[in-house]
Amino acid sequence: MTMRRIVVVGNGIAGLTACDSLRSAGFDGELTVVGAERHHPYSRPALSKALLHGVEENGVEENSADKNSGGLQAHELPEPTHDATELLGVSVSGLDIDARVVRLDGGGELPYDGLVIASGSRAKRLSPTEGAGEPRDDGSARELTLRTIEDAITLRQRVAARPSVIVVGGGPLGMEVASGCLQAGCEVTLVSDGAPLSRQLGGHLAGMFTSAAARRGLRVVGGGKARLIDFDEGAGSDAGTRVVLADGTVLEADLVVTAIGDEPNTGWLAGSKLLVDGSLRVDTRGRLRAEIVAAGDVAFFPTSRGVQRVPLWTSAIDQAKVAAVGLLQGDAAPELNFQPYFWTEGFGLSLKSVGFTPVAGAPDYSEPGNHAESMLLRWENKDGSGTAAAVNYRIPIPKLRRLADAGPAALRPAAPVNV
Amino acid sequence: MRIELDRPRCEGHGLCEEAAPALMHLDDDGELVIDVPEVDGAGLDAAKAAVRVCPVAALRLAAA
Repeated sequence: MTMRRIVVVGNGIAGLTACDSLRSAGFDGELTVVGAERHHPYSRPALSKALLHGVEENGVEENSADKNSGGLQAHELPEPTHDATELLGVSVSGLDIDARVVRLDGGGELPYDGLVIASGSRAKRLSPTEGAGEPRDDGSARELTLRTIEDAITLRQRVAARPSVIVVGGGPLGMEVASGCLQAGCEVTLVSDGAPLSRQLGGHLAGMFTSAAARRGLRVVGGGKARLIDFDEGAGSDAGTRVVLADGTVLEADLVVTAIGDEPNTGWLAGSKLLVDGSLRVDTRGRLRAEIVAAGDVAFFPTSRGVQRVPLWTSAIDQAKVAAVGLLQGDAAPELNFQPYFWTEGFGLSLKSVGFTPVAGAPDYSEPGNHAESMLLRWENKDGSGTAAAVNYRIPIPKLRRLADAGPAALRPAAPVNV
Repeated sequence: MRIELDRPRCEGHGLCEEAAPALMHLDDDGELVIDVPEVDGAGLDAAKAAVRVCPVAALRLAAA
């Protein structure tokens, strides 16, 4: 089948990478990318990390020439060079796989020969979806989340006034937000169902972060699933949001930020016949059908540990590269060989890890770096794979991969051969 | 085209090295070294891939 028109739904890093990869693989036809956000693609991981550095200790915003980004810059990516028609700020509302058209919100259709679904995911919220994020009468939001550049700017502006903060969610994003707020001088309470980061990283690495967080004054509260209730003590200025936990614990703060995970943007695919049990499951080449592929946070894909959704930066890029070639070349395209890479930072620690996490128990190998809290670690996993982690330790990722795959011997220069 | 590095931005992820090992590498201190700054043809594709994969946009391609 000759593909003359390819439509990419989603203009995040997965959509961008798909466009680039289609061009690199020789596609010179009509390329259209539709993005609900008004911006060119930007680096989402940088949003929570930039927060760490973007707010001065005294809470005063740095001056910035770029008012539109609220002083944030670390998220900016180079201008796209894929020469696609970019429809920015346009949402999609439906897909007809028989007629091969994508329907646009507010009318309009995009016919395609080939389709890339990279519609991403959105932040889960504690508030009911109905009216979620709607401001109260005084204009403040019940709960802030951090997913888009607009979210980051809002959060940054609120944090600058050094409010007391409750962060709900003990995953990497919640911990990064908590760290940024602490650094900005806020009093921060983290609500975590289970030990923070342990579900994602395992007890050993999680413990390093929670110890560092405790030293910096983070208060961590358990108590089961959280829910939000509005309250109004009569005077408008006392209105706020309370966080109520399953065990009855009630918490109050000026600002509530929730970081309780993401959910794929598949609403527009209802009735498309592509969803299986509500989710998009691609094959090893990113395909749903010969002429439809999916990549990024929206997609479940096969890994050596089963079919998973892995909403991370390098995962989106690796998937999109494979899916683009899969769309053009079908069975002749290379399969995805997913190798996790993950990083987070906060509380004075910077972690880079290669291989599957969480890791069980203590590391099988550890090597201290040349300053405090600097360490190189490796776990031998039950399935025979390795996971390597660098904590405050600068190491090229290819080298970290070698450590993960082959063990510490891979780090040493080859021994001289005696003749 | 010329590969330009904004060194203060670089966090040493090294994803660029994975994308274009013939053009750049991280040295033993984790500092990025651009081995081949001027690129064209096949090198240009690799350079574009390297620029794109950087999560902090520390690399750019500029007209030579």
